[in-house]
Amino acid sequence: MSKRILVVEDQEDNRRIVRDLLKSAGFEMLEATTGEEGIRLAETGRPDLILMDIQMPVLDGYEATRQIKAAADLRHIPIIVVTSYALSGDDAKARAAGADGYVAKPFSPRELLAKIRQFLPS
Amino acid sequence: MTSLASWTSPTSIRNLLVGFVARVPARVQTKLLVAFLTIVGLLIVLGTVGLRVLSGVNEQTDVLIKQQRKIAAYRQVQHDTTNQLYGISTALLFPDDKTLDVALGQLNQFGYDLDRLEFVAKDEPELIGKFRTDCNDFIDVMTQVVKLIRTGRVDEARKLQRDSAAPLADSLERHTNTLVNKAEADMVTAIETTEQAYRTSQIVFIAFALGSILLALGLGYVISWSLVEPVTEIGARLRQIAAGDFTQRVRVVNRDELSTLASDLNRTSEELGRLYRQLEEASRHKSEFLANTSHELRTPLNAILGYTELIQDNIYGDVPAKIREILERVQSNGRHLLGLINDVLDLSKIEAGQLTLAISDYSIKEVVQTVVASADSLAAEKKLLLRTEIADYLPLGQGDERRITQALLNLVGNAIKFTEIGEVAVRAAAVDGAFHLAVADTGPGIAAKDQERIFEEFQQADSSSTRKKGGTGLGLSISKRIIEMHGGRIWVESELGRGSVFRFTLPVRPNTGRASA
Repeated sequence: MSKRILVVEDQEDNRRIVRDLLKSAGFEMLEATTGEEGIRLAETGRPDLILMDIQMPVLDGYEATRQIKAAADLRHIPIIVVTSYALSGDDAKARAAGADGYVAKPFSPRELLAKIRQFLPS
Repeated sequence: MTSLASWTSPTSIRNLLVGFVARVPARVQTKLLVAFLTIVGLLIVLGTVGLRVLSGVNEQTDVLIKQQRKIAAYRQVQHDTTNQLYGISTALLFPDDKTLDVALGQLNQFGYDLDRLEFVAKDEPELIGKFRTDCNDFIDVMTQVVKLIRTGRVDEARKLQRDSAAPLADSLERHTNTLVNKAEADMVTAIETTEQAYRTSQIVFIAFALGSILLALGLGYVISWSLVEPVTEIGARLRQIAAGDFTQRVRVVNRDELSTLASDLNRTSEELGRLYRQLEEASRHKSEFLANTSHELRTPLNAILGYTELIQDNIYGDVPAKIREILERVQSNGRHLLGLINDVLDLSKIEAGQLTLAISDYSIKEVVQTVVASADSLAAEKKLLLRTEIADYLPLGQGDERRITQALLNLVGNAIKFTEIGEVAVRAAAVDGAFHLAVADTGPGIAAKDQERIFEEFQQADSSSTRKKGGTGLGLSISKRIIEMHGGRIWVESELGRGSVFRFTLPVRPNTGRASA
């Protein structure tokens, strides 16, 4: 059974790239475009890993991460936070919010895949 | 309210005077002129008083000399009278021609001395009148006596001498004594008057001299302080302006050129402050705009790079060799563009004060190794030797590892970019609580005149090299800012044709105060 990854990302192209990458690597993918939708899908879809973009309108990635990690039945799901390069100190903030991993934009799909495999070895 | 005691203290009197002179609504030149004229006036008065004292002393001396002469003349007449009596007595005893000639000679001398006396004692006409009458009588009697002796009537002569000449001589003696006494008394009075006048003049003179000196000193002191205080104040204000503080105003009590200067300075400061705030705001807008724009530019560029990599990895099917080659060009150009955008973004963030350091422990050795690993392929492409000289013992540093790596990578990247043949060496050591890093190359070197400029934004030593070598010219200024944010310092040692050594220091434990949460 293939592993399921939830991608929370508001930007269409980024979702498409990740989707194509993950499909070709044999992962199943759930997609959310907002933080709220991401939390809902985390509860209903039970993913094996969450890729969380930080810069999203309304509920940003930090808050969504914090809420997921606060839920007893969800906190075991590893969360890799994708931050904007521009904001230095984001890695520390991501860890503070409870993220398990951290990838800075611009990421190369290859690097992202390597990071995912740290948590979900094939 | 200020108490009486403080008003009368020397400091407040001084302040009062200085303030008063400062408030006088006259030009500085006029004030100085008035002060100098006052002093000159006092000197003139002093001179006049001195001259008067001198001439007074002179006059008194004249009076004394006159009295002296008078006394001498009186004494002479007295002496003559005695001589005359003696001469006649001799003639009476030895009535020969020789003694008679002597007596007559003495009589002439008597007349002559009497004239002299009249001349020196013109101011005593009454006494002299009486004296003259007695003298004339005496001379007449004497002449008669001499005549009688000459004609052999010695007894008659003796009688005349005894009855008339002797009493006249006595009377003359008395008159002379009176005159002498009076003259002596006058002399004593004159001496006393002179002394008194001299003492008074001395006091007046000394008082004037002291007054002049004190006034000159006082005026000089007060006027100079009334100038020095505002000048000091204005100077302090200018230093504040130079340090970027435009909020203070100069307060000067003067109503002369200095008050004009002060109000001009205040206006200039306000205007400068206004311009400075405008400039700051414009600069912040620019930085924010750049930051936003760069971010907007990066998003689609990331997508382009992402898709390109997926295509290269055959995710959308096998890629023919020719297209793969083109994709590599797309990717390398895209990465280059991303690097440029990131530089612009970094610098605008730094300038907008939005860049905070993420302080944590780091190993400078690892930083060097990361940088060398990243730059290795670049160096290999140009067949340059990239080597490291890392000191054996290096303490654990504290700082933003990612930013320090970026700073060092910029230097190493530049060194590789500008060096065509030879090597690039990265050295790291720790001295006195600071890391000392150096990036040495065998490139073309940098002329002394460019060595400061290259650390400024958008500057490369040779602007043609921007086109030839690429790059935004922002790398060095970003490195400089990052190093300075850590409390370090960067500089270059270079000579044209001899390569360059970029050196920087980083405190091992910086006190940046900017550690992010």
